[in-house]
Amino acid sequence: MSFPFTIRVAAAVIAASATMGGLAACSSSNSSPSDGPTTISLSMQNPDVKTADPATWAIVQAFEKENPNIKVEVTGEAVAEHLQKLSIAAQSDTLPDVFWVYKSNAEEMLQGGKVMNLGPVLGDLGLTNKFPKSTVSNFTSGDAVYGVPYQGLLTGLWYNKKILQDNGLQVPTTFDELLAVAKKLKEKGITTISDGANQSSFSVWSFLTDLDRFGYADKVQGILKGTQSYDNPDFVHLYEHIAELRDAGAFASNVSTQTYQQAVDQFTSGKAAMLDAGVWASSAIQKSSVAGSVGFWAGPQFKDGVGSQNIIMNVASAPLVVSAKVSKDNAKLAAVKKFLAFYYGDAAQQLLVDNGQPPVTTYKPKVDATAQSALKSALDAATQSGVTSPESQPDLLVSTTVANAMYDSIYGVIQNQLSPKQAVALVQQAIQSK
Amino acid sequence: MVWISSRWKILAMVAPALILFTLFVVYPVAYSLGFSFTKFRGFGNPDFIGFDNYGALGQDPFFWRALQNTLIILVVGVVVLVPGSFALALLLRRKVAGAGLLRALVFGPAIIAPILVGLIWVFILDPKIGLLNRFLGFAGLPSVQWIGGDTLTPYAVALVFIWSSIGFAMTIFYAGRQLLPHDVMEASELDGATGFQQLRYVTIPMMRETFAIVTILMITNVFKIFELVYMLTGGGPVHRSETLVSYMYFTTFTNQKYGLGMALAVIITVLGAVVSIAYLALSRERKAS
Repeated sequence: MSFPFTIRVAAAVIAASATMGGLAACSSSNSSPSDGPTTISLSMQNPDVKTADPATWAIVQAFEKENPNIKVEVTGEAVAEHLQKLSIAAQSDTLPDVFWVYKSNAEEMLQGGKVMNLGPVLGDLGLTNKFPKSTVSNFTSGDAVYGVPYQGLLTGLWYNKKILQDNGLQVPTTFDELLAVAKKLKEKGITTISDGANQSSFSVWSFLTDLDRFGYADKVQGILKGTQSYDNPDFVHLYEHIAELRDAGAFASNVSTQTYQQAVDQFTSGKAAMLDAGVWASSAIQKSSVAGSVGFWAGPQFKDGVGSQNIIMNVASAPLVVSAKVSKDNAKLAAVKKFLAFYYGDAAQQLLVDNGQPPVTTYKPKVDATAQSALKSALDAATQSGVTSPESQPDLLVSTTVANAMYDSIYGVIQNQLSPKQAVALVQQAIQSK
Repeated sequence: MVWISSRWKILAMVAPALILFTLFVVYPVAYSLGFSFTKFRGFGNPDFIGFDNYGALGQDPFFWRALQNTLIILVVGVVVLVPGSFALALLLRRKVAGAGLLRALVFGPAIIAPILVGLIWVFILDPKIGLLNRFLGFAGLPSVQWIGGDTLTPYAVALVFIWSSIGFAMTIFYAGRQLLPHDVMEASELDGATGFQQLRYVTIPMMRETFAIVTILMITNVFKIFELVYMLTGGGPVHRSETLVSYMYFTTFTNQKYGLGMALAVIITVLGAVVSIAYLALSRERKAS
């Protein structure tokens, strides 16, 4: 039996409509009911938040336990994928409710009206005064506060006391002492500073702090405005010092093929005297065999440096921001407010510390001197008498392109691919090409 | 009688494929092409800047380095891979004990994900922990910077590419050789052709299409190399070992210069197409002559 063509077409159209209708019905039945729990989405820069970022995971679990009517839907991807996803979401107006993003991207989103001004919310919650002033000013553009600190960025050089003692060496204070340590350890075939450039070119934290020891904080605005240059004698001196360290054999011969994780492993297995990292590495160090003999050093002081040398990088990392759409949904806004109040409350800050992170508020944490000896040494270094911190890590004050050029310039000298002059010129070129 | 060959019926039958092709191939390519004329950092609105991105790439030494590396891998890869896999196919079709197992072993690397291939070879080529340098050390020879330096990395990537692709190329040659008509081969033997003459005047000319397919596949695969570089060196030191695709990834997603990255993507597409078409044209010309 055959039907005329028009009937067949009509039947197909009806069948297609029925299918679409069914799908639409399914879709609407899956949306959140108005009387059920409120769901807020939290999008992070780690593919597996539970294992890679246990501090955030612990805070979310504790928050959900305390607020059974609010569900936090945690998702995460590696940084590049995360940013790509956010870019697409920003264009389609489907940004997650709360998300991690680079400071420079957050500022662009604020200009485009994509993220909320958190100033009034923080004021209502009484949180503004709980943050160090530099944190709030760091995440402020004009009159708007666009972000809150995700975690603290306390960086420097972890050192292995035993390796130093076994080789008759003291923990260095100045750059010259560090250079002497590198030369001595090179003779013994021991890597002084463990770094890994492969897939982690950003892992040059201690050298970023060194930039501040050559006047970066005072110069950066002029450099970005074009009244000063990154290619200046002070920065060239710093890069010359990095070259001196390289020539003294301070770095592993496979620094270019080694990943950051392998650099950590090199240190935690006792094969390197120092590790260029931050407080986030304390958990891995604590679990390793070297835990008992590890200390934290803010980094070398330079006799030809510019400005204060007694500094440690103890600043807020990239911000957490809130989608502007949240402000249009009262239930969601209330839930996000509760989440922020919890995240920056004392209980959550202690959870950060329990998971190897420093608090980002002025909360004074309880640290177990034995079970968290590595973390304690870092926190002690940050609170030593007379030590101060810059307002921000140098790479967080510039665009991603310039930040990447800064990493390339430092690793370029470490890997003997760039001379100090070429290194500073590379960054200056990136600034000009912006 | 119902004629299937009427124009609208043909159109109706082609339409689903055409719609899918437009949605998933034409649209993304056109979209990327459009973005290549803009300055766009992923957030905010893209600004039209004409051909500035292409001009910027022309002045970018890292782009030229990536292009040079890609061409090195292309030349080394194709020159070694095509005759190598053909020779292997001929060798492994002989009726000897264990030939089937050997064919499976040679094909093995082709089924390993490229990201794992890169990981495996890091442990072989790494200048400090790599197996190769350990052997050199045992032999009293100095270590070599196979990867991570600024000279040998593209050759090392080419070697790994050959290792991972040779089994696949060999299988195509093997299948192509099996399809050659037996009577032609038998006739050449009866005419007294030696093994080499048979290869030179019968097998290779009759497998010209297979050679073209393998070469085109290898060329297009070279223009897609990303994971090997990502795992072996991450493109370093200082972008010295980037290929075009890995540098495009860095430019687009790490450096967040979407417009520039899309310009690079367009260049890669055009280069891949030009090299493939040029090869096809050359082989057709040779066939015609």
